[in-house]
Amino acid sequence: MGANKVDRKEQMLGYLFIVPAVVYMLIFIGYPIIYNWIVSFQDVTAMTLGSDARDFLGFANYRAVFADATFRKALVHTFVYTVGCLVIQFSLGFLFAMFFAKKFTFSKPIRGFIVISWMLPVTVTALVFKFMFAEGNGIINAILMGLHIIKQPIGWLLEGNTAMLGLIIANSWVGIPFNMLLLTTGLNDISTDIYEAASIDGATGWQKFVRITVPLLKPTIMSVLVLGFVLTFKVFDLVYVMTGGGPVDATEVLSTYSYKLSFQLFHFGEGAAVANILFICLFLVALIYLKTISRDEMM
Amino acid sequence: MKHFNAKQKNVLMNIVAVLVACIFLFPLYWIVVNSFKLDSEIFAGTPTLWPQQFTLKAYQEQIGSLSVTLKNSVIIAIGSMALALCLSVPAAYGLARYKVRGMKIFVLIFLITQMLPASLVLTPLFLIFSKLGILNSYFAPILSTATISIPFVVLMLRPGFLNMPKELEDAAKIDGCNAFSAFFKIALPICKPTVITAACFSFVFAWNDLAYSMTFNVKEAMRPMTSAIYTFMNQYGTEWNSIMAYGVLLILPSCFIFVTMQKHIVEGMTSGSVKG
Repeated sequence: MGANKVDRKEQMLGYLFIVPAVVYMLIFIGYPIIYNWIVSFQDVTAMTLGSDARDFLGFANYRAVFADATFRKALVHTFVYTVGCLVIQFSLGFLFAMFFAKKFTFSKPIRGFIVISWMLPVTVTALVFKFMFAEGNGIINAILMGLHIIKQPIGWLLEGNTAMLGLIIANSWVGIPFNMLLLTTGLNDISTDIYEAASIDGATGWQKFVRITVPLLKPTIMSVLVLGFVLTFKVFDLVYVMTGGGPVDATEVLSTYSYKLSFQLFHFGEGAAVANILFICLFLVALIYLKTISRDEMM
Repeated sequence: MKHFNAKQKNVLMNIVAVLVACIFLFPLYWIVVNSFKLDSEIFAGTPTLWPQQFTLKAYQEQIGSLSVTLKNSVIIAIGSMALALCLSVPAAYGLARYKVRGMKIFVLIFLITQMLPASLVLTPLFLIFSKLGILNSYFAPILSTATISIPFVVLMLRPGFLNMPKELEDAAKIDGCNAFSAFFKIALPICKPTVITAACFSFVFAWNDLAYSMTFNVKEAMRPMTSAIYTFMNQYGTEWNSIMAYGVLLILPSCFIFVTMQKHIVEGMTSGSVKG
């Protein structure tokens, strides 16, 4: 059949365009992920790094990791950090989105400009927040003392709880514009007719928000929260640079702990096991995400 | 707000917006302003909002190390950008233009890999690269940072190619263009602005990377600016003026790109990070 032949040629051409990128991702992301599972069942240390004959350990690395108090702390910290960030960046991002959705002269340029924090190197963001949170010459202590909110300078990053708060604030600085932007896209899709009709019926601003905005925005809200969870849960650079997981291990998270096990203690097997646990957490949430978007955006 | 007329309301909203932006962007200002201060001023206790004595000392002191790290950052970022674009632009086009079997799976692969963190593949990639003997070379950071850009660019460009009128390519094919020249001569020029935006994103992703470069390159001569500034902080923890001077140079490319093509960046960011 002629039509079939044309169809097959089209298929081949399509694959020529698509396959190189797919293969690349499978080699450099797909294969490492599988390899990570293999490594997590092996005895891989600095000594056995180069050899192929490594001892198979079964679940020993996972047992070692779960028996490790620091790992359990890191697991809890990762969730505390993620939930803290999500609460701040979603609520403020929403507020910003609502505010900049109002039509005033500079609403669009200013909204666009705020997004710059998302594009900056996280290393620099971490360093400037570390500097601002510094005890002696940090601007945050200076402002709080100037306003008489605190009497003594606080060593923000030197104490567990405040160090975690510092990390959450620094990450929210990057996350707020991201949330704002995605929510703005959702807000723009809501027809103004609905609001006008509600106004005619005498609805107040709050009623319009609760009865119209939130329900119609629900799909966007869902994907923003899930995407935010995934992007926050995997934090590495920010924590690594700002606190290094410290003081002691008060801000250790899964990714920094995995890094420490692999590249400072050279327990590659255990490092891989921690990374896999991180992967499982992300995967479960990503499944929810893919399910929510597959309905309207896949095709 | 009922007491204000429309004009007053507009002025008021603009003032609030400017205030919000000033507070929000303060850290950016803080990086820049502190890079022009002297050590002694930063240590004097109360932070000053403007340098008492404006100086370029922090920059001058870093020129020696910068000549190495800047070169490394540029090589890694450009290499990674070129590699990512060569693979992802055709893929985005193919996924938009051809009805291939398994398209859903391909899109899914990019969606999933886009969300996976570097920390997940650091250990296995280190072991693989060590076996291949490419640790401490430009290959390791270039090959690994390209994996950040490829899925992002595919997802970002696909809607643009989908929205392009197909008639143009059909007409070109009747005139004797084959599939590849239709891609290079018709599709690419039409989508040029988004492709340039994609190039900027890939450059910035590689330029901003710390995790891969730090892990795969321990030799000082191969170090890009991000891992140099981190090492620098550990060695001279409190020389904030020098650290911030490095910071200014690190944020320059993203700031420049952002200011010159803000509209495209904001659009690209939304489509690259969510839609399929």
